[in-house]
Amino acid sequence: MDSASFLARVGDYHKAGWRLALINVTTVIAAPAPPHGAAAEPAAPATDAPTADAAPASQAASVFEIAWAFAKDREFETIREQITVGDAVPSISEFFGAAFLYENEIRELFGINVTGIGLDLQGQLYKTVTKVPFSHQAIKARLAATAAAAAAASAASAAAAEKKA
Amino acid sequence: MANPLRLPMVPRALRNLVSKPATRRYPYEIRPRFEGARGTIEFDVDTCNYCMLCMRRCPAAAITVSREDRIWAIEHLTCIGCNVCVEVCAKKSLTMSKESKPVHTHAEVGPHGERPGHEEWHKEETQAAEPAVQAAPAVGGASPV
Amino acid sequence: MKRTVVPFGPQHPVLPEPLVLDLILEDEKVLDAIPTIGYIHRGLEMMVERVEYTEMGFVVERICGICSFMHGMGYCVSLETIMNIEIPERAAWLRLIWAEISRIQSHLLWLGLGADAFGFENLFMHCWRMREQILDIFEKTTGGRIIHSVNRIGGVKRDMSDTELAAILVQLQDLGKQFKKTANVFGTDPSIAHRLGGVGVLSMEDARAVDCVGPMARASGIATDTRLIGANYYDRIELEPVVETAGDCLARVVVRMREIDQSIDIIRQAIDKMPKGEGMPLETKPRGNPMGEVFTRLEQPRGEVLYYVKANGTKNLERFRARTPTFANIPAMIKLVKGCELADVPNIILTIDPCISCTER
Repeated sequence: MDSASFLARVGDYHKAGWRLALINVTTVIAAPAPPHGAAAEPAAPATDAPTADAAPASQAASVFEIAWAFAKDREFETIREQITVGDAVPSISEFFGAAFLYENEIRELFGINVTGIGLDLQGQLYKTVTKVPFSHQAIKARLAATAAAAAAASAASAAAAEKKA
Repeated sequence: MANPLRLPMVPRALRNLVSKPATRRYPYEIRPRFEGARGTIEFDVDTCNYCMLCMRRCPAAAITVSREDRIWAIEHLTCIGCNVCVEVCAKKSLTMSKESKPVHTHAEVGPHGERPGHEEWHKEETQAAEPAVQAAPAVGGASPV
Repeated sequence: MKRTVVPFGPQHPVLPEPLVLDLILEDEKVLDAIPTIGYIHRGLEMMVERVEYTEMGFVVERICGICSFMHGMGYCVSLETIMNIEIPERAAWLRLIWAEISRIQSHLLWLGLGADAFGFENLFMHCWRMREQILDIFEKTTGGRIIHSVNRIGGVKRDMSDTELAAILVQLQDLGKQFKKTANVFGTDPSIAHRLGGVGVLSMEDARAVDCVGPMARASGIATDTRLIGANYYDRIELEPVVETAGDCLARVVVRMREIDQSIDIIRQAIDKMPKGEGMPLETKPRGNPMGEVFTRLEQPRGEVLYYVKANGTKNLERFRARTPTFANIPAMIKLVKGCELADVPNIILTIDPCISCTER
């Protein structure tokens, strides 16, 4: 991202009297292939549950999508940027005083380096067991663990059914 | 500056002294729960066809259904009382009663493996007292040994 | 002068929930305050990875017990926007009515807590006695006192009959009359005026600079109210934001007291305008999996709440984010605490109506 033009855009919002509503980060993860057997549950009668399990188009790995959202009365606009892991993001504390809380949060939960935070809380805003819980590695590890648990459960039930038969 | 002698709470406090309390003497006098309050899940084993829909829709994973073993079990301490299983049940086997279960004071596992808040039903003509008994003799002569 | 660091919280008589402020004091004056949250961070946003989107509504409801209804409603509205579902008219009106009832409940709870914090135990009990009537209404109509679980994606699960609605309105208007007497105490008692008047003044410029929301902003003279954007049938209601200009702790109390009357009036309008009758449709069933993203804004009792939902066409959402009003008001709180006396810190913290469960999720 181009930080000079980005800050200029934020400055325009500030001058026009907009209010910072949210700084949100999405960790973009390419969805893993569904594990064998996990999706193949017997369909129950009278269910309207959708069974489409199509994996979404895989995206480039290790990307964060950041949205700065601004609100003014009825209007609501966002600035979107995509950054790769390791990129620094400029702080917007100089325009919006409340930004420091969001920026400390995204640094602690996503591990994104934000430069020039107005009030730097030194990583003591949240107390989480997993450090940087929304990093790509942490999310992938959790998704893998969930998939493995589902696969193990379905294998166990299949084994039980076989034993029964 | 507000008048320091103006004490709007005093008449109120005096009235409180002589009026009836707003609270009930709880353990001796219990307010009945309202119609439609969500309390405990009740299950009718005779109508259930073991479609397992309640198990899959339960957000808290409190229900366990086994189609092969004909077991329907619920953990009442895990249940969040959201009413989803009652809504999805096609056979109307599940109902929401307005009474809540009393608080469990013991967390120990009982002699037959009973856990607090755990309830299970087996589809048999005569309900087996111990869960372990029902498996073998129930199939009877049909079992190819 | 020697500086002292006083930890405020996580356990403190005025705090309903754990928030830590490291107060840096010079004598009795607060120079700086460093917030730490995270004592009740439950990782609810993380749960979208393993909880299906239809079940996530029940998780979102449990973000906070006081705004439980609004959280469930906000989540359902977000998913309905993504999936292009038009909910039945009566369901939308019912949601609006429940939302306003929960606003009354929240404000009464807060007024009680506030009274307790500045040492008015008797007033606290009166506020909570009135709140109990609201909880009874909730138990009758939704089935739950705190966690209502009536919102589903596509509508609501329960109906209120027209006679029941009329009875609720009578009960609420009666409660409004009772509340007038209590409001009179808040407004005229000299000790309350001493304790709160002129304490923690947030000017309009400062309120704009720290982007605060809800009653906090309205007490500083900013006429902001997310209900005015007109979503969720609020455009069919006549609504004027409650604004006070003093910006001190007392103004924040007054704003919330006036909002109780306003909510009762909104419920009256809604009952007048909603379609009458029994057995009207209440739910449009969602079909398929959601795909797309949305920002949803709602006015909760504490201010504007913002949900970001991103769905990728599978059963699990890709991202769910709730920016709760307390999160937006914490910078304002820190700003107010700087420079005040240590004895005023509890009042200032309480008048932003902090909900740390909401903030941490």
